[in-house]
Amino acid sequence: MGDMEEKKVKGAKAGPQKKKKAKKISTKLLTYIVPLVTATVIILIVVSFRLASTRMTEMATETLESSISNQADNIDAWLSENLTYFKTVKYLIERDEPTDENLQLVLDTYYGFNKNSPEGFYIGTSDGKLYKATESSIDVNDVKNSTWYQQGMSRVDIAYGTAYQNAQGITVVSATGILNDGDPGIKVFGADVPLNQISIIVNSGVKMKDASSFLVDTNDNTILAHRTASLVSTKLSDSSSDALLSGAAKSINDNDFTTKTIGDYMVAFSEVSGTDWVLVSYIPTAIILMSLMQMSNLLIIIGIIAVLLVVAAILYVVRRVVAPLGHISENITAMSEGDFTIEVDSSSDDEIGLMGSKVSDFVASMRNMLKSISEESEKLQEESYNSDRVSKTMYDASQSQAEAMQQLNETVDQLAKAVNDIAQNATVLAGVVADTRENSEKANQSMKDTVEISKKGREDMEKLSTAMDGIEQANEELVESINKVGSASEEITNIVSMIGEIAEETNLLSLNASIEAARAGEAGKGFAVVATQIAKLAQTSAESAQNISNLIEEVHRLIGNAVGQADASARSIKENSELINVAVGTFDQIYTNIQDSNQLIEAMIEDVGKVDDVATNVAAISEEQAASADEILATSENMVDMANNITRSSQDVADNSHELASTSATLTDHVQQFKI
Amino acid sequence: MKISVKKVFACLLMSILVMSTVAGCGGASSGSGGSGGTKILFIMTDVNDTFRATLSDAVLAAGKAQGVTLDMVETGDSVQDQLTLITEAKSKGYSAIILRSADANTAPQMNVASNDLPIIYLNAEPINDHLTADKYIFVGSDEYQAGQYQAEYVIKKLNNPKSLNVIIFQGEAGHSATIGRSKSVKKTLKAAGCNANYVFVDSANWSDAEAKEKLGIFMKTGQSVDAIFCNNDTMALGTIEGMKEYGLDYTKIPVCGVDATADGCASIQAGEMSFTVLQDAKGQAASAVTAAVTLGGGGSLKDIEGATSDLKYVYVPFVPVDASNVSQFK
Repeated sequence: MGDMEEKKVKGAKAGPQKKKKAKKISTKLLTYIVPLVTATVIILIVVSFRLASTRMTEMATETLESSISNQADNIDAWLSENLTYFKTVKYLIERDEPTDENLQLVLDTYYGFNKNSPEGFYIGTSDGKLYKATESSIDVNDVKNSTWYQQGMSRVDIAYGTAYQNAQGITVVSATGILNDGDPGIKVFGADVPLNQISIIVNSGVKMKDASSFLVDTNDNTILAHRTASLVSTKLSDSSSDALLSGAAKSINDNDFTTKTIGDYMVAFSEVSGTDWVLVSYIPTAIILMSLMQMSNLLIIIGIIAVLLVVAAILYVVRRVVAPLGHISENITAMSEGDFTIEVDSSSDDEIGLMGSKVSDFVASMRNMLKSISEESEKLQEESYNSDRVSKTMYDASQSQAEAMQQLNETVDQLAKAVNDIAQNATVLAGVVADTRENSEKANQSMKDTVEISKKGREDMEKLSTAMDGIEQANEELVESINKVGSASEEITNIVSMIGEIAEETNLLSLNASIEAARAGEAGKGFAVVATQIAKLAQTSAESAQNISNLIEEVHRLIGNAVGQADASARSIKENSELINVAVGTFDQIYTNIQDSNQLIEAMIEDVGKVDDVATNVAAISEEQAASADEILATSENMVDMANNITRSSQDVADNSHELASTSATLTDHVQQFKI
Repeated sequence: MKISVKKVFACLLMSILVMSTVAGCGGASSGSGGSGGTKILFIMTDVNDTFRATLSDAVLAAGKAQGVTLDMVETGDSVQDQLTLITEAKSKGYSAIILRSADANTAPQMNVASNDLPIIYLNAEPINDHLTADKYIFVGSDEYQAGQYQAEYVIKKLNNPKSLNVIIFQGEAGHSATIGRSKSVKKTLKAAGCNANYVFVDSANWSDAEAKEKLGIFMKTGQSVDAIFCNNDTMALGTIEGMKEYGLDYTKIPVCGVDATADGCASIQAGEMSFTVLQDAKGQAASAVTAAVTLGGGGSLKDIEGATSDLKYVYVPFVPVDASNVSQFK
């Protein structure tokens, strides 16, 4: 019960939207317990029905079998009793071998003694005679062909034969046997038992209530006894329209005497010992199961009553226990609808009173609480609206900051690139300047060498001028010398002409000598040879003198040329000297100029050194700047990220404060629903 | 309400029955060992009769063949001695009992005394009600089969006759063998489509003299006969004697006996009796020992050859004997 109350309170706390249809505790208990009880009862009924059904069938089978066995024994006993009686009489007759007269007396004596064989004994002989009791109504026309005689002829021991209709139209079973009296002829002794007598025994011998029996002779399947008289002495056929009869016939033909269900009946079989008869007992299965049905009906009724009792008990107990809670329940219902203006009755002095006072306390504290919640929530709402607004502004600001940052970042990026370029260029410049300085130093050196060389050139030029003067003098001396040679050669020409005249006179002398030698004849011959030799010499001398004369003439002419030439040389030399002097002047000029250039180059080298220093400094500085710019770039990228984060955060803040605003609005709404 | 009380009572009884069965099973299984160490008590009345002597020898041989310890005790006709043996059997470590009862009607007493040991009844058959499935069982031959073999032999020998004049000489009235053997002759003939005319059906009390006398009385009736069925060989031999006296031709009229006794076999060999059936002593002995081992070990007859569906009987087939195979049984 306490649990249920707690649940209700919880329901009220949970708010009005959790409102569901309130079920009564009694209904709940009923929904839980009644199906359980019902299921249990049903299971019990089903199980007991099953068990009882099995057991009932077994019991019925046993009862039926016991009944039929008992009945068969009874029939057997009845038959044996009669048979023993018949046998005794037969034995007496056989022993006494009575005369015809005595035999008649004996038959008369036993007539009516045994009610089961009302017609008494009779004896038929092979010569057609019939002995019977005087009062007996047995009438036989043809003894030898009568059924009982034929049957009796097949045995000495008296035994029952098959059923037949006797001359009086009564269906009987005859107990017959050959009278073994030693006579050569055959005498058949017999006694009739009417079938209706057997029927009475069979029908009244059933030991089981509602069961019935019938008796069948298996020799020809004749029904010897049956409750329905019309069936008696008819043949039991397996083609009978009656399912029971045909089924029984089938079983008997198959020699299957186990108890079985045939049609709507449970059927048992029993062979009657000492005969070929089979007793069939049957009971409708409906009867066997009827008590079962009654039982199950009873069980069902008891079950239903039990369930109803449980329902009633639950209702009663619930009502009894729950009634005082009604008021509190109403209050709580009001509470659950948000009404805290209620006053709870706590007058009772039991747990329920305690509960009431506690609920009352709860209402008071709830009232306070709700009030403060209401106030707080309004404030909260306001604040959250503010917060929302602020965060929106912040969001905008941070967004623009982020954009600015982004731009800055890009700028710094470019700057970094530019600085890097400068650094690179400065480095290149420094390299170039260093090269230039080296080159200009080399140029300075070359200039110095040039100055030296030009100085030397001037000196050489001056020497050349001096040499030129010497050459002029020598040339004049040469002309003088040549002129002397000319005079000498004219003297030579004179000498040579004298040599020529001498050679001519010598030649005339040699010719005269040769004419005188030729007159002198032989004595003159030796001289003639000298005279020819002298002639030849004179000629050669003349020729040589001629040649020399030619040569001198040639020399004479050559000297004339040489003098001309020397004069020309003298003129050239004079001109050269003048030119050289000009060249010396030019050299001086060049020297002076180079000297000036040298000085300029040196000054330039000095300046280039300075430029080199500056360029190196610039390269170092711009590299540092590039590194710094990279750092700046990284930093500004971080700043962009941070600015973005800030933007997002401020978005979140905006969202949250928006949510907070709506939540506090909702809270305010909710709190306002309470009546306090 | 009265019926309901009955049901409740029935249910109670049933649960008690179930519990006691369970308890009983537990006891049985704990009390029985494996077939290796199986000890079987074999109680025999006496071995004075040829058949019983053959039977007990066969039981001992079967025990040896199946590797079980088999102790044989002869009690004569003393039911008291049998009861004492059976009562003590369990405490002496036997797991099953093979019993040739001195009086088959004492079976309920023996069953109770056995302390849950299975009893295999042999040769003397208790009535069905006194047997319990897989517990107190009978090993023997189905009497019905003896008559069936006789009838089948005659039908074959006389070339499926449409009708027959038949004499049946029965044993003691009310004896199970008498009823079974006679009834099966009639049923078999009927089933074979032979319209038998039973010209003489009477008890000759297993006796040759009485059979001969009854045949004499039959002769007086002046009827003819085509086949003579006797519930045992002795009566068949008496019948042959009678036929010789009354001038009936036993070569044309087959005379059938049961038991394949030495005299019966000799008669068949001499061309007098036509047919007999042998109760298979060896087969019965082997089946009895097998059943004892199986039930003693907590098993069931289910898997034993010849067991009936109600698990109360193990039937060992009869063996038909005629001129063609008589020499094997002499």
